[in-house]
Amino acid sequence: MIEAVNLAKTYGEKRAVDGISFTVKPGMVTGFLGPNGAGKSTTMRMIVGLDRPTTGTVTVNGKHFAEHRDPLHQVGALLDAKAVHTSRSAYNHLLAMAATHNIPTKRVNEVIEMTGLGAVAKKKAGGFSLGMGQRLGIAAALLGDPQTLILDEPVNGLDPEGVLWVRNLAKYLASEGKTIFLSSHLMSEMAQTADHLIVIGRGRIIADAPIETIIAGKTGARTLVRTPSLPQLASLLAGSGVTLDSSENETLEVTGLDPRQIAQVAMDNHILVYELTPLSASLEEAYFNLTKDEVEYHSHTTAGLESVSAQASPEGR
Amino acid sequence: MSTTSMAKTPARSSAGSTGLTFGGVLRSEWIKFHTLTSTKLLVLFTFLAVIGVGVLSAWLRATAIEQVMKFGAGRPEAATGSGAPAMTMDQAESVMAAQGLNIYGIPNAGLQIGILVLGSLAVLLIASEFGTGMIRSTLTAVPKRLPAFWAKAIVLVVVSYVLTLVASLATFLISVPILDAYVISMGFDRDGVVSGIFLGGLYVAGVALIGLSLGTLLRNSAGGIMVLVALFFVLPFGTQLASLIPGDFWMHVNEYVPSVAGGRMLEIGHKDGFIDPAVGGLIFLGWILVFLVPAVAIFKKRDV
Repeated sequence: MIEAVNLAKTYGEKRAVDGISFTVKPGMVTGFLGPNGAGKSTTMRMIVGLDRPTTGTVTVNGKHFAEHRDPLHQVGALLDAKAVHTSRSAYNHLLAMAATHNIPTKRVNEVIEMTGLGAVAKKKAGGFSLGMGQRLGIAAALLGDPQTLILDEPVNGLDPEGVLWVRNLAKYLASEGKTIFLSSHLMSEMAQTADHLIVIGRGRIIADAPIETIIAGKTGARTLVRTPSLPQLASLLAGSGVTLDSSENETLEVTGLDPRQIAQVAMDNHILVYELTPLSASLEEAYFNLTKDEVEYHSHTTAGLESVSAQASPEGR
Repeated sequence: MSTTSMAKTPARSSAGSTGLTFGGVLRSEWIKFHTLTSTKLLVLFTFLAVIGVGVLSAWLRATAIEQVMKFGAGRPEAATGSGAPAMTMDQAESVMAAQGLNIYGIPNAGLQIGILVLGSLAVLLIASEFGTGMIRSTLTAVPKRLPAFWAKAIVLVVVSYVLTLVASLATFLISVPILDAYVISMGFDRDGVVSGIFLGGLYVAGVALIGLSLGTLLRNSAGGIMVLVALFFVLPFGTQLASLIPGDFWMHVNEYVPSVAGGRMLEIGHKDGFIDPAVGGLIFLGWILVFLVPAVAIFKKRDV
């Protein structure tokens, strides 16, 4: 259980985290989603006390992280895959970390096996690939078999097999009743792993809800309709609360009516409809809608496109 | 390989431990210290260099004493042609001592190398953690932070002290037969030898603490080592030059710089125009605190 209250962090003039409050509950995977620079890593660093909050507090299992008598058993954190001395072997790195809590060497060997580091454990960590570094970071996080696991961008640099492994591990540990908090800027990854989502943009929380609610909530259900009598059908469907969008010939996207209602209107007026497809909003779309105004670093090439799409959908925030 | 093995996440028992203890943190820092090949090589090199320089210095001092006895202090033309010595052994030794080259100081003659390398090693011990990001792992395991700092300090003090003690003793033992060849009697019974052997390590350990503090304050290996070298090897030259400036203040300022005060701590007896060895020790302690106190305060507070 992680509880943040009015947590804020200011670097000079810049407010990296702007007074956020949230709770991460045990027994599920909570995703922390946001664009680059949104404040995800800063928030996670404040949870484990590496950064001092400017204002507000954050506790883990009821106490400030530093006040726990067995920090590594409370929280395992992967905040930065490169938090390793480059000239020390992976095995010795883990051994030194384990020693602080008198964790037996047996456990060091276990996490090495679990993370698939066996073959490279005696090699210098500085020569590791991004993926291997990531596995070492996860091994260190698992060392104390912690109640709460905090993983910042855990799948960065992992191969598909590693991505699947992290996903399964997170779900498995959550099913064991542990608190799992993982950040990502990849929506697709969150869609497959998280049960609950906290979306952050420019240091503020813009959504905190179960993942289904976020997917369903922001974009209403849409239906793709293909018909040769497009203008006729469009005029019949038009009405309050209905949005129509036609991007190509004989194709209409309808929001505000379900497929059954559309089919009824078409049949009543003897209009041929040769496709009627419900479009479920992807998390990706939901995410873009949520963070449209919160993205810190727009790339220049898409800046123009974004303004076009913003005009096209006036309901955008 | 890992996809299948994750399913059997081990039961809590295997990760069971007594929790965070200072003994554990100390053991962790010791593991970190001795698992870097570069550190081990550096320590071995320092050990050999301290002894080598010390023994070489013993031989040079012995030949110098022989010269002084034969020809007198720096005035070869004054030497009597009769072959009779110009000075007794005691006189020659005091001529040398006036230049800061005590016979009893031979066990610590190689100490300059020791403070240069171990001081730099101390800077590296913490600055490299900041440089590589290791510090974030360290402080996640020890979120109260200060135990990690003190554990590093203890490892450094013990390593510096033991290394210097053994090296001084070895320097002494090797130097005895060399000095003997010049009919200079050297033994544990000579005033200042035993105390020098035991105090030398304290001086080096103190320099290591200053190095650790500099590494913590600057978080940068190169910068920390530069300041350390400036403090111990450049500053004394500067203050020595400054002593030529008229006025009492500039005459005495040299005695108070860390290397001179710390070096004085290893000597015995009164020396004209110099502070007492005990006072030198206290001044050196003051220098340690000047760097250590802010380092501890910043290590506790600053974001990493």
